[in-house]
Amino acid sequence: MAGSNIRRKKLATSNRISAYLLHHLQSLMFSLRKIYAAPATTIMTVAVIGITLSLPGGFYLFLKNIDAISGDFRSSSQISLFLDLELSEKQARALDKKISKMELVDSTRFISRDKSLEEFRQDSGFGKSIDTLSSNPLPHTIIVEPGEADTFAVRNLLNSLQAMPEVKIAKLDTEWLERLYTIIEIARRSVVIITVLFSCAVLLIIGNTIRLDIQNRYQEIIVTKLIGATDAFIRRPFLYGGVWYGLLGGIISWLIVEIGYLAISGPLGRLNLLYKSDMNLITFSFHDFIILITSSTLLGLAGSWIAVARHLNQIEPT
Amino acid sequence: MIEFHNVTKRFEGGYEALSNVSLKLDEGHMAFITGHSGAGKSTLLKIIALIEKPTRGQALLNRVNLNTMPRRRVPYIRRNIGIIFQDHQLLFDRNVFDNVSLPLHIQGYRPQEIAKRTRAALDKVGLLHKEKSLPITLSGGEQQRVGIARAVVHKPMLLLADEPTGNLDPELSREIMQIFVDFNQVGVTVLVASHDLDLIDDLDKPRITLNRGKLILNDLEDIAQEADGGWQ
Repeated sequence: MAGSNIRRKKLATSNRISAYLLHHLQSLMFSLRKIYAAPATTIMTVAVIGITLSLPGGFYLFLKNIDAISGDFRSSSQISLFLDLELSEKQARALDKKISKMELVDSTRFISRDKSLEEFRQDSGFGKSIDTLSSNPLPHTIIVEPGEADTFAVRNLLNSLQAMPEVKIAKLDTEWLERLYTIIEIARRSVVIITVLFSCAVLLIIGNTIRLDIQNRYQEIIVTKLIGATDAFIRRPFLYGGVWYGLLGGIISWLIVEIGYLAISGPLGRLNLLYKSDMNLITFSFHDFIILITSSTLLGLAGSWIAVARHLNQIEPT
Repeated sequence: MIEFHNVTKRFEGGYEALSNVSLKLDEGHMAFITGHSGAGKSTLLKIIALIEKPTRGQALLNRVNLNTMPRRRVPYIRRNIGIIFQDHQLLFDRNVFDNVSLPLHIQGYRPQEIAKRTRAALDKVGLLHKEKSLPITLSGGEQQRVGIARAVVHKPMLLLADEPTGNLDPELSREIMQIFVDFNQVGVTVLVASHDLDLIDDLDKPRITLNRGKLILNDLEDIAQEADGGWQ
């Protein structure tokens, strides 16, 4: 092909690269114009992708909030010390004072035997039965609030308290916390499964949309192949189409989750008032937003790549 | 430029579109392929354009064997060929200029170059004033001329035309054929399949006639019998 060689040499390398970049830009703009030209189709596709991605996104945010709340609980774990029944109130109060000065201890609260019984009589409703008891079966109790410390340090504190001769039973109220953490772990894994499944769904949605797009432009593909277009040239606008779908779908899913959390924030504010807590709803951080948009865009690219690889090669002029 | 050595094309089901066809078209020459519909004219052009592959025999384009052409090289071979179809194969979602400039975009020309060459090609077929029109608004003859402009815009070495005047009246057909002759005069090799014998008779160019896939008349150098007949 002597003629073509001469012609190809005329196009300098730098020109070829700029022409290549130019075609990328043109494909980008072309696919964007197509999206603009068919708003109904685009909106439907993008909405489906957005709704699909909003589920894992919402669950992720839910988990993030639960995590933050449970972090508060972690620092609020208490140790209950049930003292020896033989101990007098004076001895017990002295011990309380001693413990409150210990390292790692933030504060203590002393509950005397009599007060414990009084509380029990009022709260349990067994008042009459308790009156029949000859002696008070309840021990003096000290509630220890550990300061800012990790679980390991709290366990050490528990052991040293347990070792005291005056202490009959030392109990760390963490069982329910451990249950909570297990539940959170289950939720965390569920979010991973949901994310994987819904990402596959997005892949299929985009793949199918691009497949229809390829079918609609069958004639154009045939003609461009006949005048010497390479597979890469034909592929490019479709891949950019997938990228746009993914990007827009990601933005929609972000909006859906944000609006959803806005709707929840009202009742949550009331809940805060009722519990006198100050739980603040955590929404997507900028970092989360970037990850969401990037992954949805990559999903778009991957979905269109699958469709293009499967269907474009089958179209040949006859 | 084009060489066929005992080329046979048999389609699935046993239908033989070309039987043992040998021919040779030299660079810079022009020839017509004639014959009834179904005689194998289109199949012959499709083999040259790498749309079909021969079942048997060898097809060469510029001494390159088309039988064994790997898929990835096909686009680069096609860039040396301009193809004109009976049904124009224009893209109706873009204007005349964008249709004609498509081969230049594919080959990575710069925008200024694209504009220059596209206008030159449109000027050659007399449609420079229609560059902004949509193909649907053009007449059949004009659409065919847009198709020709697109086929020649990248200055191919070879022009293939399959029934380019199929749907046109005699006057327009003559105009179209004259455009091909003009291109041939500036050195482009041209091969036109047509059944419009009256028109071909006037043009005084060598003719290849096919009948049910067999070569029954060959005005070109006869390479089948290794004879040195030359132009007959």
